[in-house]
Amino acid sequence: MSENTDCTRRDFLKLAGTAAAVAAVAATVPGMVGEAQAAELDLVTKRQTGVYAADANPKLYKARKSQENPMVQKLYAKDGFLHDGPTGHKAHLLLHTHYFDRSAGVKALKAKGIKLKA
Amino acid sequence: MQDMEKVMMKGSAPKNIDPTKFSFVQVDAAKCQACGTCDDVCKTGAIQAVGKDEKRKVLDPAACVNCGQCLVNCPYGAIYEEISFVDEVFKALKDPNTVVVSMPAPAVRYALGEAFGLPAGTHVGGKMHAALRKLGFKLVWDNEFTADVTIMEEGTELLNRVKKPSHGAPLPQFTSCCPGWVKFVEAFYPELIPNLSSAKSPIGMLGALAKTYGAKQTKTDPAKMFTVSIMPCIAKKYEGLRPELAASGYRDTDVTITTRELAYMIKKAGIDFKSLKDEAADPILGEATGAATIFATSGGVMEAALRLAYEVLSGDKLKDVDLKGVRAHEGIKTASVDVPKFGKVNVAVASGLDNAKKLCDEVKAGKSPHHFIEIMTCPGGCVNGGGQILNPSVLVGDSGCRKVFAEINKRLAMKAQA
Repeated sequence: MSENTDCTRRDFLKLAGTAAAVAAVAATVPGMVGEAQAAELDLVTKRQTGVYAADANPKLYKARKSQENPMVQKLYAKDGFLHDGPTGHKAHLLLHTHYFDRSAGVKALKAKGIKLKA
Repeated sequence: MQDMEKVMMKGSAPKNIDPTKFSFVQVDAAKCQACGTCDDVCKTGAIQAVGKDEKRKVLDPAACVNCGQCLVNCPYGAIYEEISFVDEVFKALKDPNTVVVSMPAPAVRYALGEAFGLPAGTHVGGKMHAALRKLGFKLVWDNEFTADVTIMEEGTELLNRVKKPSHGAPLPQFTSCCPGWVKFVEAFYPELIPNLSSAKSPIGMLGALAKTYGAKQTKTDPAKMFTVSIMPCIAKKYEGLRPELAASGYRDTDVTITTRELAYMIKKAGIDFKSLKDEAADPILGEATGAATIFATSGGVMEAALRLAYEVLSGDKLKDVDLKGVRAHEGIKTASVDVPKFGKVNVAVASGLDNAKKLCDEVKAGKSPHHFIEIMTCPGGCVNGGGQILNPSVLVGDSGCRKVFAEINKRLAMKAQA
């Protein structure tokens, strides 16, 4: 990664979509744009790589399956707090929820002539 | 306005606010250069040009899912957060009668180190636990524990739907961990609400368990508990304020802060983060597996769920847990997993709401071949969340091509107007 990576893939995408004047500028810095694209992917990729490395590192996580977590097993044990198991009665009360139709606000905006993307 | 890790925070949250009437991010017109970067990253169209000078504005909270991608991608730092609970957390930490409880999300530990000069992606979970104790958190619980519980609940729910899909609980089942995505369904695809898993998100579960099970286990009066959700995400502030999330008899989540706000607090307290020794979370609601930590990335919830579903459906042990077929950098990924004694489990993983829309339309048309679909709003998942430490290459300095490009766009926009 070099120093001139402060333009990102989105700049590149934006450029691709705008006028010829901008395209001319982009043509003068093709290497720059390419590197920039890599730089932005890089940050997310680095974090993702860290995640999968931790998952596979027994010093950080002894088990790799949720059902093998000893504290999860304790929670759902026959004499445990959630003894009727996952999706059981008590689990439903505490760990499940419901959702609400919130489309009225979106419809009202559209009725005003505001263009939304979804 | 207060600067926290290069993001301006307007102020403390007013009491008893209705989160639906509230924009969690807004544009500072004095800083906006009308470059339009936010238009590109906003997939609902909530942020738009207003007036002659084309400066951007979040038009109405009804269309905004609070993901904060506009904020983390703005080259001018022109987008600020409306509310910060940092003052409330510091106040609670000083009060000897309050038991302050930490609930950090998986993704926080893969970006927090960047605020202290550590390389991107460094797992700083152990240092984070140590820092939380130094700050005065009495119970260091961890949202990774309830990521494991989410797999048990959401995974079991999926198995029930596969066995017997119904009108109220149809297939495919959508994940429900991501608060931007959940609000997106509620606002833009309400007809798909039955497809959303009824399982709360991990933080929804941890708040409820903390003040019931956790209170019992630690002999703490739940009325004295103050639960702090620590998230890579701005939309989690919205989720934390949902009125229905009070299953414990109290507010399940008292306040929500972001990775940036935690970094700010650690610095403000003068803690030398880099030299901290790793510490574990308090186990009762803190122990976690690798399946939990991968919730931080696009594809992770799916992989973790499959590690359970495979074993339940087949009755066999899953030997190779690395299900690389569902690991997604960005875009849409589909896979068909062969499960002995069951058959094929068809799954899809998408991040970015433009990709989510495609899968939603497929489900709406009755043409979805999938059993289970994971959606995360931010491209790449929570590691790239709107509450994470900023990418240092996003903000324009005194020079740099971003500024040049933004300038050109601005002029073109003005020309088009004239």
